[in-house]
Amino acid sequence: MAVRAQFENSNEVGVFSRLTNSYAIVAVGGSENFYSVFESELQDIIPICHATIAGTRIVGRLTVGNKNGLLVPTTTTDQELQHLRNTLPDSVKIQRIEERLSALGNVICCNDHVAIVHPDLERETEEIIADVLGVEVFRQTVADNVLTGSYMALSNQGGIVHPKTSVRDQDELSSLLQVPLVAGSVNRGSAVVGAGMVVNDWLAITGLDTTATELSVVESVFRLGEMAPGGQGAGVNKESIVESFY
Amino acid sequence: MKTTWKDIAPVPTSQEFLDIVLSRTQRQLPTQIRAGFKISRIRGFYTRKVKFTQETFCDKFQAILDGFPRLQDIHPFHKDLMNTLYDADHFRIALGQVSTAKHLIEAVSRDYVRLIKYAQSLFQCKQLKRAGLGRMATICRRLKDPLVYLEQVRQHLGRLPSIDPNTRTLLICGYPNVGKSSFLRSITRADVDVQPYAFTTKSLFVGHFDYKYLRFQAIDTPGILDHPLEEMNTIEMQSITAVAHLRSAILYFMDLSEQCGYSVADQIKLFHSIKPLFANKIVYIVVNKIDVRRPEDLDPEQQQELQDILNSGDVEMLQASCTTTEGVTAVKNAACDKLLAERVAQKLKSGTNTSGTPGGRLGDVLARIHVAKPMGGVQRETFIPEAVKDLKKYDKNDPNRRKLERDLEEENGGAGVYSFDMQRDYTLANDEWNHDKIPEVWNGKNIYDFVDPDIESKLAALEEEEEKLEADGYYESDESVEDAEDADIRMKADLIREKRVLMRNEAKMRKSLKNRAQIPRSAKSKKLSEMNRALDSAGYDVDAAGDRARSQSQVRGRPLTRDEPNDDSMDLDDPKQAIARAKSRARSVAATDRRNDGVVSDTARDKAERMFKLGQKKMNRMARQGEADRHTTASLPKHLFSGKRGMGKTQRR
Repeated sequence: MAVRAQFENSNEVGVFSRLTNSYAIVAVGGSENFYSVFESELQDIIPICHATIAGTRIVGRLTVGNKNGLLVPTTTTDQELQHLRNTLPDSVKIQRIEERLSALGNVICCNDHVAIVHPDLERETEEIIADVLGVEVFRQTVADNVLTGSYMALSNQGGIVHPKTSVRDQDELSSLLQVPLVAGSVNRGSAVVGAGMVVNDWLAITGLDTTATELSVVESVFRLGEMAPGGQGAGVNKESIVESFY
Repeated sequence: MKTTWKDIAPVPTSQEFLDIVLSRTQRQLPTQIRAGFKISRIRGFYTRKVKFTQETFCDKFQAILDGFPRLQDIHPFHKDLMNTLYDADHFRIALGQVSTAKHLIEAVSRDYVRLIKYAQSLFQCKQLKRAGLGRMATICRRLKDPLVYLEQVRQHLGRLPSIDPNTRTLLICGYPNVGKSSFLRSITRADVDVQPYAFTTKSLFVGHFDYKYLRFQAIDTPGILDHPLEEMNTIEMQSITAVAHLRSAILYFMDLSEQCGYSVADQIKLFHSIKPLFANKIVYIVVNKIDVRRPEDLDPEQQQELQDILNSGDVEMLQASCTTTEGVTAVKNAACDKLLAERVAQKLKSGTNTSGTPGGRLGDVLARIHVAKPMGGVQRETFIPEAVKDLKKYDKNDPNRRKLERDLEEENGGAGVYSFDMQRDYTLANDEWNHDKIPEVWNGKNIYDFVDPDIESKLAALEEEEEKLEADGYYESDESVEDAEDADIRMKADLIREKRVLMRNEAKMRKSLKNRAQIPRSAKSKKLSEMNRALDSAGYDVDAAGDRARSQSQVRGRPLTRDEPNDDSMDLDDPKQAIARAKSRARSVAATDRRNDGVVSDTARDKAERMFKLGQKKMNRMARQGEADRHTTASLPKHLFSGKRGMGKTQRR
């Protein structure tokens, strides 16, 4: 299931929310419309948490998490941390980490098995990621870009990377992650796929500007909705695409 | 590349042409010559007429020449099609004639302009102009036929279908009446005329359809009869042109029922005779009208002949019936698929560099559609809760829909008014705790720095200890007796503090001038009583000071002694004088006389004055205000120099 949404006229839903298989975090906005998009798809399935991090609304960029845990930056206040702890289930470990690169969502991209992180991340942070999130950690770049979390959207079933990622890089990342990857865009050609959408194993929420084609790519690579079993939608029309774009 | 020529400007007939040019000359140039014009002016007048007429002619001819396509510049398909339809030679000659006429008119104009230069009179000039324009008109009139022909070509060209020779094309050809147009009708929205007689279609028709998100064009051609190329008429030649030049998938239609009036053998023969044109193309034999007769129903001999065609390998047979629409889509899809595959293969081949990887733009495109699959190994486990499968899709119009935060918001005053309950969904051990208030800071300490998971047990231990102490009578003795001495000190300290605050306030009040002038304390008069009070409060004897002040103060009323300055008297330090002096000094300082400063004697002074006057001299002569005056007045003041001055009178008024 892929849904389009907008946070206060911004398409960058990945900036204002974080979605995992066991919880969702949504920024506090002027109205409840954005929160209710999550609610309508996830209510009574996983907890959805209204939160701020360090008093800001860019919760998606500052935090990183998966089914097992949640990492928040050192700027998170005690109250916010307590609020998260009170709201999220006890099975989710929450850890505040001292890291110079405090926008964790930008520098870390993970699913429930693997994390691809910024090459300059500290060693301690890397260990914490491995412990709290229960993942293997790889230092990698996406299309020569160190901000892996911004330029990559990942679930346990697939991933989208920066549209200019070379075929070789895609293959390399794919064998690292052991999920199929495609180079794609969201929000009418935006390359920051990580910030433009959130995804877990059964739901993707993208910006309102996302085109039908982009959405179909999202659905097929993450195997959501009708695309769920098998089929890779992008491969079917290879001929048409070559014919019309070259 | 240009595929349509709908925007060629209409070509006027020769008579219209003349009218246009001459009336333009008449309208756009001066028409009157007056008595007393110089001959040079008259010559110029007529030269201009001749030249302008020639320019107009030439512009118009050039526009015609530019408007029509040049056969060597367009795609070979269009070139051949035009050749078939309009006869390339004829077309070229017509344009050539227009071009020649243009040059002739230029030559005529040149000659007559030269002649007019030597004309001696108005009459001569006029006659020369008439002759010149007349010759141009004659040249133009001779273009009657080419212009008519070009206009017809223009009208026909504008109505040609827009055929793009390079795009994805299905070309439908075959004998007349085998169902080509009906096929086009059934796969596209083209409204082609279908009639049960031969040569219903007399020209090329184009229809468009979409397949796999791509736009294809299907071209319906007129029927071809099997005879040598030289004997073919224009209608058939159009088909041949299309078959020969378009990069397309060719659908050769056959009618095995022979309802079209041509035997199967004839149709096979035609296929063989136009086969050379199919080189390097995808060819399908489409057996139409299978609702009447299928290939299986043919007699063995004909079946064999048909089979021979297919045996070569590069030709496939498809079957369709346009009346029952059976197989029509299959034919279309098969042809499109193969065409697409071949075009893509060709593109991939041309876009691939020597090392075998697609580079450049093709590489970019392929990178976009590449799905990177992991190289074998583990299947990543997914974690989809069971509840997801049972989740009813949220429907906004369902009255029993789930209640969302947005609904609550709407009920409670809408965005900006409603404030959601952050603590509602807390998962604490006891739901009543959800809304407990926890202070952030307590006694200047951050509560969260002291959060201790074991606090309950520690508190219990403490309480136990406390109870024990109480039981032991630890708190029995009471030592809270305050002695009198302490109380006294405390009271005095309070008094001191109070006094200090009062003093501070007073000083503040004094300081605030409230915009009044600040007068130095020494310049202020003080009353004797004030001084007395101050000295008294400070503990000094006031009598002596009071006596002295009184002795110095002025007596009220008439003075008892005569007030006469006494030079001999001692210079007393009179406080009043001192004050007056100080005041006057502050008020003004005597200005120095700069003219006399530094002048030692009268002679020096005279000399200085002379020098000064000399310096002024130039300024005065130039009527300058000073040496900084750089003003430049108008050299010819308008009011002094304008106005008519007839009759030699120079004075203005």
